[in-house]
Amino acid sequence: MCMYQFLVAVRQEGANLTSADGETTSHLMGMFYRTIRMVDNGIKPCYVFDGKPPEMKGGELAKRAERREEAQKALSQAEEQGNQQDIDKFSRRLVKVTKTHVDECKQLLKLMGIPFVEAPCEAEAQCAALVKAGKVYGTATEDMDALTFGSNVLLRHMTFSEARKMPIKEFHLSNVLAETGLSQQEFIDLCILMGCDYCDSIRGIGPKRAIELIQKHRSIETILQHLDKNKYTVPEEWQFSEARRLFVEPEVADPADIELKWVEPDEDGLVAFMCGDKGFNEERIRNGAKKLSKARNTTTQGRLDSFFKVLPNPNAGKRKGYPVRPADDVSFPVFALAVAVPSAIY
Amino acid sequence: MFEARLAKGAIFKKILEAVKDLLTEASWDCGDMGITLQAMDNAHVSLVSLNLRSDGFDKYRCDRNLTMGMNLGSMSKILKCAGNDDIVTIRAQDNPDTVTFVFESENGEKQSDYEMKLMSLDLEHLQIPETEYACVVKMPAGEFARICRDLSQFGDSIVISCSKQGVKFSASGDIGSANVKLAQSSNVDKEEEAVTIEMQEPVSFTYACRYLNFFTKATPLSAQVKLSMSPEYPLMVEYAIDDIGQIRYFLAPKIEDDDN
Repeated sequence: MCMYQFLVAVRQEGANLTSADGETTSHLMGMFYRTIRMVDNGIKPCYVFDGKPPEMKGGELAKRAERREEAQKALSQAEEQGNQQDIDKFSRRLVKVTKTHVDECKQLLKLMGIPFVEAPCEAEAQCAALVKAGKVYGTATEDMDALTFGSNVLLRHMTFSEARKMPIKEFHLSNVLAETGLSQQEFIDLCILMGCDYCDSIRGIGPKRAIELIQKHRSIETILQHLDKNKYTVPEEWQFSEARRLFVEPEVADPADIELKWVEPDEDGLVAFMCGDKGFNEERIRNGAKKLSKARNTTTQGRLDSFFKVLPNPNAGKRKGYPVRPADDVSFPVFALAVAVPSAIY
Repeated sequence: MFEARLAKGAIFKKILEAVKDLLTEASWDCGDMGITLQAMDNAHVSLVSLNLRSDGFDKYRCDRNLTMGMNLGSMSKILKCAGNDDIVTIRAQDNPDTVTFVFESENGEKQSDYEMKLMSLDLEHLQIPETEYACVVKMPAGEFARICRDLSQFGDSIVISCSKQGVKFSASGDIGSANVKLAQSSNVDKEEEAVTIEMQEPVSFTYACRYLNFFTKATPLSAQVKLSMSPEYPLMVEYAIDDIGQIRYFLAPKIEDDDN
């Protein structure tokens, strides 16, 4: 999720923030302050790092590599012409997270006392497994895959900066399923039809057609039987069932073996790491550590839903559209955050 | 056709004052038995449950059960137009898009009506089981409001502890700490000023001041307030509304983290 964002956003005059000897530190700064902001607001975050990408994702990754090359070309062109705006624009697209960045983030989290999980494969899949096991309340990511993987609660815009005034959006899978009248299996098929990272989709079928087809035929197989092949081109050797398998039984670590523990931050360790090696301001880091430690000792507000049962709503399903409710006060505060890690480092 | 007429119209004014800060909108469910309202705040931390029995009204007619979604801010604006001694009548058709409030002055010389658009709300309903609470404290409502207001200057939360000796409210924060103890009253001459405690086992829980201060907005409705607490259960704060019903607030406690 966020490491790219930090490396893209936290920069001055086209270059990343660096320590005295020229190492990038944007990612650490972003991670540090954003985590503190969450903890300060009573959220207990748990970061989940991507593992190696599934083989099926090769196509999508190749596309991304292609786009990178294009950006590289455009950048050299812009440099030749001396167009500062374009140089900025394209160098942003070339940002790459390296293994060092990832390791440094993990080290930082350890010092801050924040737990993280290394997913064997897709982070969103691991998050969904943690949600299902009741280890965390929801997944915070921009990637809608989290719902497809079966995470019941998805938050988007969780860590957007306050300046953007973007409300956090809370999606409930159960509501989505209830209102669309789909089962989880059908929902997965719908997502594949609308385009996922693992395989191509049918040209000419957008979200609107896709949901009509699924609601009528209930599975991709039946849709294919009824689809007018002259009108829509189905990709050759379309591997939708393989993609479906990846969503249904993704490779994840067993949540039962994962213990999430939030511990006291190591203030001196943080100062040594962030100030000694990376050249951050000591006072700010110490303040941050104090905030973390203070937040640990306050109590968390319980939610009524955990005491009283929600009665089935007789009006459910009458409303159109996806139920999206701004979660201005998220009070059951344990979240798994998916962290995207580039495949290149594996 | 739905019609409910209440001579003491001020009750409606007070009810709205008691809920409008906590809830922005809510559904009023009207049926044979009376009017009920149940809604949680946005954060799902507290819940309001209002019950007005049909026999408490001066005139009550409800041909078909109906649910009216209202914006409470707008409703409060309308009720502010009613005088304290006005007779209030709420009226709606069987499948209504709007609701009408009629205010009549005591001497019948002035009558005003206000029509408000209804909204269709999709709210979750919670099932609240009846329980035996470990501790039930009854105390003057004004005293409770005062304690909540005073203690919220010290911290975000108030600890309410109840034992045989009495009930203790405490808060602590950056400027220091505060404790208020109330003993069971010995003379029960004035029922309204009495503090009574019914206790199965001593309890102590932490609650957010913010919400308690929302609840005490109901103080003008009733001389006494009832606080009910049990382990693993939300706090219930109840105000009786004359002989027509009651308003109950439920609040989830603050929870100590296990790993601390």
